Amino acid sequence: MNEHTVKSFDQELQLLDKKVAQMGGLTERLLAHAFDALERRDPKLAENTVASDRAVDQLERELQEQTILMIARRQPMANDLRHIMTVLKIAGDLERIGDLAKNIAKRALAVSGESHPKSLMTGLKHMVELALHQLKDVLDAYAELDADKALGVWRQDERIDAMYNSIFRELLTYMMEDPRNIGLCTHLLFGAKNIERVGDHTTNIAENVYYLVHGTTLTDDRPKGDDTSSTLIRKE
Amino acid sequence: MRASLYVRRRRRNAVAMSLSLLATMIGLGWLVLILGALLWQGLSGLSPKVFTEMTPPPGSDGGLLNPIVGSLIMTGLAVLIGTPIGILAGTYMAEYGRYARTTSIVRFINDILLSAPSIIVGLFIYEMAVAPMGHFSALAGALALAVIVVPVVIRTTEDMLLLVPNALREAAAALGMPRAYIIRHVAYRAAKAGIVTGVLLAIARISGETAPLLFTALNNQFWSTNLNAPMASLPAVIFQFALSPYADWQKLAWTGALIITLAVLTLSIVVRVVTGPRRQP
Amino acid sequence: MAMVSAPQVDRVATEKAGMRERISIRKLDFYYGDSRALRAISLPLFDRKVTAFIGPSGCGKSTLLRVLNRMYDLYPNQRAEGEVLFDGANILSPKQDPNLLRARIGMVFQKPTPFPMTIYDNIAFGIRLYERLSKSEVDGRVEESLKRAGLWNEVKDKLQANGLSLSGGQQQRLCIARTVAVRPEVILLDEPCSALDPISTAKIEELIEELKADYTIVIVTHNMQQAARVSEFTAFMYLGELIEFGDTQKIFTKPNDSRTQDYITGRFG
Repeated sequence: MNEHTVKSFDQELQLLDKKVAQMGGLTERLLAHAFDALERRDPKLAENTVASDRAVDQLERELQEQTILMIARRQPMANDLRHIMTVLKIAGDLERIGDLAKNIAKRALAVSGESHPKSLMTGLKHMVELALHQLKDVLDAYAELDADKALGVWRQDERIDAMYNSIFRELLTYMMEDPRNIGLCTHLLFGAKNIERVGDHTTNIAENVYYLVHGTTLTDDRPKGDDTSSTLIRKE
Repeated sequence: MRASLYVRRRRRNAVAMSLSLLATMIGLGWLVLILGALLWQGLSGLSPKVFTEMTPPPGSDGGLLNPIVGSLIMTGLAVLIGTPIGILAGTYMAEYGRYARTTSIVRFINDILLSAPSIIVGLFIYEMAVAPMGHFSALAGALALAVIVVPVVIRTTEDMLLLVPNALREAAAALGMPRAYIIRHVAYRAAKAGIVTGVLLAIARISGETAPLLFTALNNQFWSTNLNAPMASLPAVIFQFALSPYADWQKLAWTGALIITLAVLTLSIVVRVVTGPRRQP
Repeated sequence: MAMVSAPQVDRVATEKAGMRERISIRKLDFYYGDSRALRAISLPLFDRKVTAFIGPSGCGKSTLLRVLNRMYDLYPNQRAEGEVLFDGANILSPKQDPNLLRARIGMVFQKPTPFPMTIYDNIAFGIRLYERLSKSEVDGRVEESLKRAGLWNEVKDKLQANGLSLSGGQQQRLCIARTVAVRPEVILLDEPCSALDPISTAKIEELIEELKADYTIVIVTHNMQQAARVSEFTAFMYLGELIEFGDTQKIFTKPNDSRTQDYITGRFG
């Protein structure tokens, strides 16, 4: 693609992309650390992670300001317009992911004194790895303007949903077995929910990348697997 | 380094300015001298008698009535004949034939005619009108003057019409206006002041022409408004009286010259007034 | 030299939407002397919609506009080949009287050109050309046209003032009133706002919004944002060829041709 005749326009767009990449990297790290804090029962790490979310919020504010300024000054059209709008939306999604990671870290703090059952942690770890993988892929798709990669992420969210289903059941069973576990399991349940939400936000980002590249929105129904809202386990 | 270049330029500027001023003064100086001489010599002879009595024989009192009237008649007739031809030709060249090759040829010839020696015009009309008619006449004089009027009017009409912006014509055409309408109502209206100026300039030009009249209208000592006979005219009378050895005739000649000069001056001022303040905001 | 295939216009879709093609340009070529300025242009102009012509300098958009009312007839070395159908009849044929055509297709130019007459006469002039009306009828038409152009309130007390005493924006609205007064069916606008300040520009854009209810409008503009604001259809031209034609919304958010995209995003040249 050609460059803009006014070079500063190109420079500003590049700055936007750089900030998005920065924000993405920060968010990935946030999520990874939050789960580490949970798994290793490390309250110090958990506290640091909570504090680090501020940087993500700051970047989102900067990106919002910059995109509004660019719209006012440059009157962007066609792909430039889609680019800038997408940046705005991705920033919003990344900020939410950051908040979700912070929430996981907070819960890690809450349960740091307790012992965690091994099977539950493996399940959760697997889920987090999937989510992190999805986040990385979708950010790569944005940087490379690869709509197919984005589509791939969009479709794979099913797997996180499936994992969430099984963890949900496991936690319910655990809670029903022994009421003393309810405290820990509730936090873990919310933690799992947060990770599932992270997955949903990455699919949002994937949809935006697709729109940026093709100019049309994905209208098919995304394959969803989360049926926990209709799950109920009765005590026999 | 820069300062010395600047100083040199300023010096050169001062020299050029002084030379220009000098040239202006020389040019204006002659004008002042001529006007001064005219006023000095002619003013004393200016009296109501000049406009009421006819040219006298040498030694008696008289005025310039018949030459003044004669000039007015022949000038008026010349303008009547020459202006329509000039305006129509100029209109053709600026409107219909603007891009034709004939137009550029006509324009070239017209420019030559503009500066043609007027004595040649006189001789031409002598051959064309005086010889076949067998005698000198005011009509022939008017015709000779008309031949001088036409190129002036053609030139100014075409120039003024060309000055009317094409955008105005296009705007009129875009309303569905036919060509002739556009010319009549838009182009003429916009160029009106300029075309009138052209006619007035032509009048100023022919008021002082002597040579063509010498071969066509000759001169007439007596009162005559007969177009078919020789008629007196101011320039011819001035010519006759100035070359004579009689003092009173010479005085009348000066007065006549002053009258012509004042008339042309007044006409020019009128032209200025007519075209000047009417400029659009 | 690359051959560009004529962009397909989805005529079925537009007919379904109830849009009538008022002017059909079919394979139009235009020559200044021997040099070809327009190349095989084919595009529709829909009834009571605003169509914008955009493109870089020298692309032929003004040339194309001036073909539509045979303005080129005024100059000897310019000729057009092909067909331009207006309500079915080819207006390029020698049988079409250009003056009658221009009474049905009006034009407003870039530089406001009021006639050197009073404001009243500027408008009455065109009316009297083709219609025989009583003084009160002419008065009514003058008032109606000035109201239509949004100028009535500003000049109603000075109709006898010279047209040139108005400001630039007012003069341009006077020219629009003059064009509207002869009740054309199509109005062509050749960069009508490029000599005006932003407020006058906005007033004229608002005027276009109102006028399009009754007239088919074609506007040539350098200002892409204006084309995006004001038109329903946009044609992008380059070097005398039509590169892309379509819905304004689509052209400015997701154009088909990369050249169109480069032009509207400022990547041209």
